[in-house]
Amino acid sequence: MIDSGLDRRDFLKVLGWGGAAVALSGCGNTSVEDGKETVVSYVEAADYVIPGIGVYYNSTCAQCDAGCSINGRVREGRVLKLEGNPASAINRGRTCGLGQAGVQHHYNPDRVREPLLRHGDKNEVITWDKAYALIAEKLSGAKGDEVAFLSGGVSGHLKVLLGNYLDSIGSKNHFVYEALAPAVVRAANKKAYGVEMPRYNINKAKVVLSFGADFLGAWVSPVHFSQQYAQFRKGVDGQRGVLIQVESKMTLTGANADRWIPVRPGTEGILALGIINALGTASGDIAAAVKGYDRARVSKETGVPPGQIDKIAALLKLRSPSLVLAGSAAEGYAHGSQNAAAINLLNQVLGNVGKTVEASTSVPFPQMAPAKGNTVALKSLNDGLAAGKYKVLFCYAANPVFTAPGAMKFKDHLAKAGFKVAFAHYLDETALQADLVLPLDSALEDWGTQVPEYMTEGAQINIQQPLMEKLHANTRGMGDILLALVKQRRAEEYKSFDDYYAYLRGAMLLNKNALGGSGADDDTFWNETLTKGIVKLAGSAGTLSGKASAAGLTLPVPSAADVQYPLQLIPGVTASLRDGRHANQPWLQESPDPLTTIVWDSWVEIHPKKAAELHITEGDIVEVTSRSGSIRAQAYLFPGIHPDAISVPLGRGHEALGRYAKGYGANPFQILDAVFDQETGELAMHETRVKVSKTGQRVVVVKDEGAAGGKQMGRKIAVLVTTDEVDLSKEA
Amino acid sequence: MEKDTNESAAWTKRENESPIPKHERRASEKDIRESIAWAKINQDVLKSMETPRKLYWVILFFAFAAFSVGVGCEVYQYQNGMGVSNKNNPHAWGLYISTFIFWIGMSHSGTLLSAILHLMHADWRKPIFRFAEALTTFSLMTAGLFVMVHLGRLWQFYYSVPYPDERGLWPNFQSPLLWDAMAIFTYLSSSILFLYIGMIPDLAICRDHLHEGWRKNLYTWLSLGWEGTDRQWRNFRVTYLTIACFLIPLAVSVHSIVAADFAMSQQPGWHVTSFPAYFVAGALYSGCSAIITLFIILRYVFKFEEYMTLPILKKTVRLTFAIAMIWTYLNAVEFASVWYSHDQASKDVLIQKVIGPFAPFWWGMIFCGSVVPLTLAFKRFQTNIPVLFVVSLLLNLGMWLERWMIVAPTFSHGYYPWTWDHDQWPGFVQWGMVFASFGWFTMLFMGFCKVFPSVSMYEVKEMVYHRKLHLKKSETAEQGAH
Amino acid sequence: MSVSNLLENWAQFRHFHPIDDKPHDPYKWAMSIDLDACTGCNACSVACYAENNLPVVGKEKYQHGHGMHWMRIERYWDEGLGVAGGSDFPDHGAQFLPMMCQQCEAAPCETVCPAAATNHTADGLNSQIYNRCVGSRYCSANCPFKVRYFNWYDYPTTDNVWPAEMNQQLNPDVTVRSKGVMEKCTFCVQRLHAAKGTAKNEGRLVHDGDVQTACQQVCPTGAITFGNLVDHESKVHKQWQSQQVELDKDAQVKDQKEGGSGLRGYRIFEELRPYPSVMYLERVRESAI
Repeated sequence: MIDSGLDRRDFLKVLGWGGAAVALSGCGNTSVEDGKETVVSYVEAADYVIPGIGVYYNSTCAQCDAGCSINGRVREGRVLKLEGNPASAINRGRTCGLGQAGVQHHYNPDRVREPLLRHGDKNEVITWDKAYALIAEKLSGAKGDEVAFLSGGVSGHLKVLLGNYLDSIGSKNHFVYEALAPAVVRAANKKAYGVEMPRYNINKAKVVLSFGADFLGAWVSPVHFSQQYAQFRKGVDGQRGVLIQVESKMTLTGANADRWIPVRPGTEGILALGIINALGTASGDIAAAVKGYDRARVSKETGVPPGQIDKIAALLKLRSPSLVLAGSAAEGYAHGSQNAAAINLLNQVLGNVGKTVEASTSVPFPQMAPAKGNTVALKSLNDGLAAGKYKVLFCYAANPVFTAPGAMKFKDHLAKAGFKVAFAHYLDETALQADLVLPLDSALEDWGTQVPEYMTEGAQINIQQPLMEKLHANTRGMGDILLALVKQRRAEEYKSFDDYYAYLRGAMLLNKNALGGSGADDDTFWNETLTKGIVKLAGSAGTLSGKASAAGLTLPVPSAADVQYPLQLIPGVTASLRDGRHANQPWLQESPDPLTTIVWDSWVEIHPKKAAELHITEGDIVEVTSRSGSIRAQAYLFPGIHPDAISVPLGRGHEALGRYAKGYGANPFQILDAVFDQETGELAMHETRVKVSKTGQRVVVVKDEGAAGGKQMGRKIAVLVTTDEVDLSKEA
Repeated sequence: MEKDTNESAAWTKRENESPIPKHERRASEKDIRESIAWAKINQDVLKSMETPRKLYWVILFFAFAAFSVGVGCEVYQYQNGMGVSNKNNPHAWGLYISTFIFWIGMSHSGTLLSAILHLMHADWRKPIFRFAEALTTFSLMTAGLFVMVHLGRLWQFYYSVPYPDERGLWPNFQSPLLWDAMAIFTYLSSSILFLYIGMIPDLAICRDHLHEGWRKNLYTWLSLGWEGTDRQWRNFRVTYLTIACFLIPLAVSVHSIVAADFAMSQQPGWHVTSFPAYFVAGALYSGCSAIITLFIILRYVFKFEEYMTLPILKKTVRLTFAIAMIWTYLNAVEFASVWYSHDQASKDVLIQKVIGPFAPFWWGMIFCGSVVPLTLAFKRFQTNIPVLFVVSLLLNLGMWLERWMIVAPTFSHGYYPWTWDHDQWPGFVQWGMVFASFGWFTMLFMGFCKVFPSVSMYEVKEMVYHRKLHLKKSETAEQGAH
Repeated sequence: MSVSNLLENWAQFRHFHPIDDKPHDPYKWAMSIDLDACTGCNACSVACYAENNLPVVGKEKYQHGHGMHWMRIERYWDEGLGVAGGSDFPDHGAQFLPMMCQQCEAAPCETVCPAAATNHTADGLNSQIYNRCVGSRYCSANCPFKVRYFNWYDYPTTDNVWPAEMNQQLNPDVTVRSKGVMEKCTFCVQRLHAAKGTAKNEGRLVHDGDVQTACQQVCPTGAITFGNLVDHESKVHKQWQSQQVELDKDAQVKDQKEGGSGLRGYRIFEELRPYPSVMYLERVRESAI
């Protein structure tokens, strides 16, 4: 060795660096935190690190609220990939693309790493002690009702702790805001079925008639519904399920429908009543209510041919049970509640309630159930802010500066709050407006519990646990921060909990018996819980209490064409970008939109006929102007949209959020008019009217689809057959 | 237009001033004047190798500058990856491969003139085969560069040639690209050998005319002690003939193999049986037109009117015309076979060549390759130097377009419609490389002209001698008849 | 450099026609994709990025056709859409097709590679040896499906596709490719190797379900089935069998039967005879509506 001129030190260097390539990451021994990569041999590796062998930990996906259980593959102390946990009744081992990208949330290079005190556009790095002291100082100068807390849909112990904290401050101002939550449908369901979110059995239905519910894409619990859908397609006794989708802009679910019906925007309820009328099975006040909705009128108002209405009615009559879903497209109007009510009524008329619509179960700990809310909450916060009511505002898991409709002028009102604290993973638009930004652990480094809104086969509490050591030394878990803050007020009560982990463990062990751990000793129960990642509970089965009634059901006649703003703007909700909080995950940016195959940019979907009328071709940069503002984006000619509507996808158009999100696309939230559902007061997302004009600029649309468009040019590539040509019963 | 007339007038003037005595001007029917003294031949040819004029250096500089552009492009591409050339999926190939075929094709001229016509005893080839042979060698060297430039991992190019390897790894002998590499290498080495061996007697003349300097050493070394003895001449003849015989099948195979790169694949528009013949015809075609171009340039620059005579040009032009028609026919065969194949994918490729986004280039190819050569059928154009110059350049433009039209449309319009891409336009790196290849070729060729005799002195003498002999014979016969 | 090497090792498993030479034993990896279950959600594609260290090339490079999605979801419309006499709307939705390397038995890409960098493995995979690739892109030129992706740039280094921390997500079981080499779907060969290793340690063969490809594992509707076609107990074998699709035939029962066979299994470009290892099941649409 020495003879060959390679001395010992060089030799070690070679070996060491060879190992370093894999050992370099944060398993505690390396100091990624201070930017140095120390060469550490495996002799010092942590116990659980077996070089070359992956270990798996169960946790919960935090990319959306559906509560899919995940199973993270960890090697050499680094989490590499997330798979679904097969034990979960929600996702049964599967995930969606959004869930897959969870690791890019964790490893994102644009994460906030230190507590930041913001002075204008400048950041000052401060210590946590100073940050906590600052909060205490600001709170001491504010009365309880001068403090507001804005959060996304939190659940589990975090929600409890948050409640306790607000209680300790004496504030009742917890605003829960999820921009895309199905708030109107929840209210309509509550009326019709007695529960906000019943259990839908798509797999048991022979026909699913969906009014704009994108259950395969971004609606409620898409991974779960996708599995039900697969069973539904296989069908019972080879009788394949039929999906009919009624909507003005084709969603992913619409693209999978046997029949996609483009309906005039906002007339979904009228069509539902028309179908009830065509069924002819209703009686009492329902029959009276639908009497006027004969096929001629319905066809005229909705644009759906009369024959089509009859066909749907005939099929629904023939194949039972069926399932009718009211989704976000139906609820997004000023009469959204009425639309949803009409659609739910159809379900009731068809006798699906109790068969394919069942009572949902809930966890026996109501304080842990997810907090829900949408624009009503935001509006009330916004009004408070405008009135200068709040001295301290906390913001967690919401980005209202990005998602609030432009007409609300949220950003301007936010500036009136005295002291704004943002708990953030990234410097998003809202965090940039904050005075204090507190960096959070990623979902893969943090402890927590989560209770999904939509559950099947009993109830479950999902466990979130770290899949690896913290990537950055100075980030904290939200639970830890809340615990520290609540200790400022109620030190005595919480002194036994060193950290949120201890709190969580303590809280879980306290209810060990109720959580199915009776008899087991504490450690066994706790370890088993963590190993499984799910606590399954019998749950309390609710009952459906609503009754079929058409009382109070009034649907407006479609309004006459607006000359100034002739088109309806349908903000598109895509499965991967949703409300835009994950736009900084490059896999999602480069994952083509399933329908247009566009990547990295926003687009304006416009029907080819309308486009021809307006002399717009693909790649024209068009200006979409509403009463509240205007955005520019590239035009994409899309056949799956009603000619009287255009659609711009949500989620892009960030002005912050890091290198992968900033500057890509346009943000249609900005131009949404402040039109609200008349009953619930929630934002009517689809009620914005716009005009489209060419700017004269052109770009090449960056998309995966080739020059042939979606044509197969006579090649046998993706083949379509009709049910009468195949025999599904023989299939393996 | 006016300028053309002027130029044409200038040419005519020069023709009038030509050293050919007026009474032999009828000569137009004669390939060469029988009365040229052998010493004059030496003198004229050696004169072309003297210290170049200023213009030479200027042109050489521009050629070098053009080449440097390519070097710059290659360095950039090497550093950053092939992506900078604006290739993509599905456009995996581009101008590199089409220009590669172009240069390979051009190389066939030399073999045609020096080997095929040699065997056919067409002695009019003698004054012009040397530079044609140089054209062969240098265009092959240019083509070889494109193979290298094309590779994504240039530094590993040797993986695709069989070489001694302790792991016993072999390249893939099924791959036409491997055949290509071997065929081109063989062809290049044989061509260099052929060029060199054919030059030995001339190199000896060069040696004998010099007394000192590096050239003397070079020629002494290269002429291998040639003294013109009877035994040397006999050995020389046999060797030359042997290599000529060896070279002909090689030349045909080289371009057949280049055709096989396409024909052996499974892609629509490429999978055509007639491709080898089509490619060889195309190769001879572009080679001949390149010869016409260089013929005109050399004749003008070196005042070789005595050797590169109009009758020889006429013969070359007629040959070119014949090949042009063969090429046109084979083109039609290709279209017809595609059309009758009932293969929709192949038809689609053809249709989009004709009326799709490639139409301007495709019709350009048809115009330059099949319509322009029709002018060559007219006698008065067959010796009209300005017209021929322009025509020969157009023919080669057409042939370059042909290669591009073979490569690109199949990529942009292959079997799989999802990946169709009609907007692909080669990036500046690709164009830079194409541009540079002409600079590189010019550099090599200009260097050759000043270091080696671009007209074969001994063969011209031979030709003159034969003509003289023939003349004498016919005179004797005439006398005998009296 | 021995000639015996040349004769014995060179392209040992390459097929010109799958039945001529060695039958696969004990493994032949194959797939079937039910297009009726596929919703086009893209989860498989993202999972592939996560598993196989695929670089995200960015907007500009994507525009130039440099996207590296080994698995891409194609969206087709009905042929009648928007043409005269057809409908203005996609009445039957769209048709999605996940397309990745079809792992052809007689692969057009294998024969043309000058460096023998792409080869057939004993268990029927079309393998790509990154180390051996010279980047001639001939394989891509000859691929009828255009599913081979070339490293047009040096994504890990000069392009810095994985800036600090992002690089820690890279799967150590999968090579990070450098510029100038061709890559494509491998059927998650690293997972297959791991499964075969485990099975070997236990002295058995890989059972059905021991190993899943990343796309299969993630698929929310379970549209993708993957397994060992030789194993008669495997789901993929049963599916191929029930659809009467045979690996070594270039025309299947489905295409030959007059008046319809009720089957829906097919392989793309069967007529070109690449003998793909991926069977698709036709998308079904209700005739009553």
